[in-house]
Amino acid sequence: MRTKTLWLWLALLVTSLALVAAGCGGDDDEAAGTGATTEESGGNEAAEQVITVNWGTEPPSLDPGLASDVTSANILFNIMDPLVKLDEDLKPVPAAAESVETSEDGKTVTYVLRDDLKWTNGDPVTAQDFEYSWKRTVSPELAADYAYQFYGIVGAQEYNSCDPKKDDCAALADKMGVKALDDKTLEVKLTSAQPWFVQQSAHHSFIAVHKATVDKFGDKWTEAANIVTNGPFKLENWEHSSAIDLVKWDEWRDAASVKLTRVNGRMIEDGTTAVQAFEAGEVDVLETLPPDETARLKETPEYEKYTALGTYYHGFNVESITDVKQRRAMALAIPRQSLIDNIAQADQIPATGMTPEGMPGYDAINPASPWLPAEGDMEQAKQLMSEVANPKKSITLYINDAPGHREIAVGIQAAWEELGIESTIKQQEFQQYLEFLGPPPNKDVDVYRLGWIGDFVDAINFLELWTCESGNNSTNYCNKEYDALIEKARATEDNDARYEIYGQAEEILFGENGDMPIIPFYYYTYQGLERESIKESFDRNLLDQVDLTKVVVTE
Amino acid sequence: MLKFIVRRIFWTIPVLLVVIFLTFTMMRQIGGNPFRQSERAVTEATQRNLEAKFHVNDPWYLQYAHYVKGVATFDLGPSLVVRGRDVNDIVATHFPTSIQLGLFAFLFAIVLGVPLGMIAALRHNTWVDYSAMFFSNVFHAVPSFLIATLLIYFVALKAGWFPTSGWTSWEHKVLPSIALGFGPMALFARLVRGTMLETLQQDYVRTAKAKGLRYRRVVGLHVLRNSLIPVVTAAGPLLGFIITGSFVIELIFNIPGIGQQFVDSVFNRDYSVVMGLTVLLSVIVIVANLVVDILYGILDPRTRDVRA
Repeated sequence: MRTKTLWLWLALLVTSLALVAAGCGGDDDEAAGTGATTEESGGNEAAEQVITVNWGTEPPSLDPGLASDVTSANILFNIMDPLVKLDEDLKPVPAAAESVETSEDGKTVTYVLRDDLKWTNGDPVTAQDFEYSWKRTVSPELAADYAYQFYGIVGAQEYNSCDPKKDDCAALADKMGVKALDDKTLEVKLTSAQPWFVQQSAHHSFIAVHKATVDKFGDKWTEAANIVTNGPFKLENWEHSSAIDLVKWDEWRDAASVKLTRVNGRMIEDGTTAVQAFEAGEVDVLETLPPDETARLKETPEYEKYTALGTYYHGFNVESITDVKQRRAMALAIPRQSLIDNIAQADQIPATGMTPEGMPGYDAINPASPWLPAEGDMEQAKQLMSEVANPKKSITLYINDAPGHREIAVGIQAAWEELGIESTIKQQEFQQYLEFLGPPPNKDVDVYRLGWIGDFVDAINFLELWTCESGNNSTNYCNKEYDALIEKARATEDNDARYEIYGQAEEILFGENGDMPIIPFYYYTYQGLERESIKESFDRNLLDQVDLTKVVVTE
Repeated sequence: MLKFIVRRIFWTIPVLLVVIFLTFTMMRQIGGNPFRQSERAVTEATQRNLEAKFHVNDPWYLQYAHYVKGVATFDLGPSLVVRGRDVNDIVATHFPTSIQLGLFAFLFAIVLGVPLGMIAALRHNTWVDYSAMFFSNVFHAVPSFLIATLLIYFVALKAGWFPTSGWTSWEHKVLPSIALGFGPMALFARLVRGTMLETLQQDYVRTAKAKGLRYRRVVGLHVLRNSLIPVVTAAGPLLGFIITGSFVIELIFNIPGIGQQFVDSVFNRDYSVVMGLTVLLSVIVIVANLVVDILYGILDPRTRDVRA
């Protein structure tokens, strides 16, 4: 009897396992094709216009109001139709809007929509859609990260800060300065003249959503089964943390110009796994490379590098390293070019100011800091150090624990040691690190590492970091003169005049008499791998945006 | 027996309450802000709106009570970071994948491990025994991530027999299951060998042989059955462990399982996801142990009365 029971159990176990095996063997992915060939590029269009992109991570949200990262933005820009888009030079060009006009005083911007816009369910895209979407993003109920992108609009900040328990939020929403005058015309009232507003409205948070769908599905409206879009591609399939597949939408206003019929998306997070998937031909595009493999991959024909709008820097706690001469000496001592060549290895550009290369007006803005020579200047650094009255000889350098930072920190440590400064490197997990840095930073912080990636194309985005009240300024640095310049720049409409003010601000930070609250280390680059059949047409702009409508697979 | 089961199920309640309490406290001790995921500071209004939306500023006992109520009604709450997804969604999407991976690995371990141990025991002190035990020891000692890396490099990349990563077709599922199954396989082989050697020394085996029973029948009926009892004991917790312990394999093979979600949620300070998944994994371990105790009672009558 008991023998039978045992065999029964074993039989049950085996059968159930077999059932599980059978149940999941069936869902083979029929769309596995990576349509790229590895033959010479520049040839004719391939018959199959299909690519597989590794986005590297699950897009946290496909709600334009809630998305706050590059991956989500990249998917959104290809499934939705923004009012304006940035061209290769980051100039705004009309997209869903046919025209954009700014009033004489610069305080009113009017967008006129094209006639032929519609949602994938057949509804027309209207100016009311945009009014609804912008107000939704600003609403305190949605609690969107990027609500502040709208603060330049009359009443937006008030509405976003409203407390539903105390204030009449609906009234504040009505007062917000965005209004659909008719189905085609969207009028925006700004708090002041903001020459960058049209450019800023190319940000993904300004994309419209389909109200009926949002109302019907609530939080779940972005799932593939529910979503209604209006862009060149449709979201066909979204398996969380695994795959996100786009297919061309033939009814899009400019579908004739779109070559790709399908873009399979993968989300391989681990860098080494991703490289292996590329080498096995499973994906055609890698968006990032693991630092320890960069040197090898740089030699492959698929390697591609782009300049980014971002600055990697080391900030001083100016209340700890108080003498500006010591800060200058510490900046001078670092041979950044050779650290980039030998350690970072991604052809980053040694920074000579806060605002990165590629920013409009860069030549006028860049202070060409004498304290930031690419190879460093140890002699001058030692000279300066000897003039410091009370040098701080023992310091702590804080970094977060992502790959690559420690190696750079060790290089800096060696340089400072030569200068006579003993530094200890302390590494923290990112969330703890951010909390540790404040502002104000923990007292133990003497120097810390961070980076800044621009989210819109104006140097103010970089320079306002170092104002006294900035939530991103962990240096304790506060200079009223600097703050006044930033305020002045905000009110200056003319581009050249504004760039000149930005230049003066940079001069205060890094010029001959600069305060050196930070050491700008390098301007970021993006690097990845691209199959040669698409390398020609696959492009990422300074904001790391990929326009899939431009990509062609060649034979 | 029924009384025993009911009592055990009731015992899980205080255990879970303690698990929730500890996770809850520890999560808040390590600091961090779920609403800030990059260098970019969150504006004051946004932070306030988010805290209000997710009730993270209520007193801790209110949050705790609210959470326990949620667990009791099988509602694990919304994710704080991945907006628009509930913890229930995350479990429903990713947990079946982890179970699948765990079961495949387990199947691989049993199918290979048990016969390997049997052969080693029956050919005791021969080269068969030595080589079987050599390989089991090696595979038991080598961590799964190393096996995974080697498999990807040689079998997927160089030979091209299987894809390097993903979890869509059956081809995708072979390498991760093997990588995860090697350790338990070695464990089973050693366990079966040990208990079988012990059983072979028993008086009743000698009696059976003396009676003139065929060797095959002695082994199949008497030796094997009694040798498998400890294997069943070990299998339960091990299955729980395989399902919950596949984080690294999931990362290396980019498998959208619960492990990756768990790790990400800790780094992102996604409190509700961390809590939800901790509760889930605790339940699995508790259930696995419960099942083993019940099985044990069925297989070995001596254990039944003691616990009744």
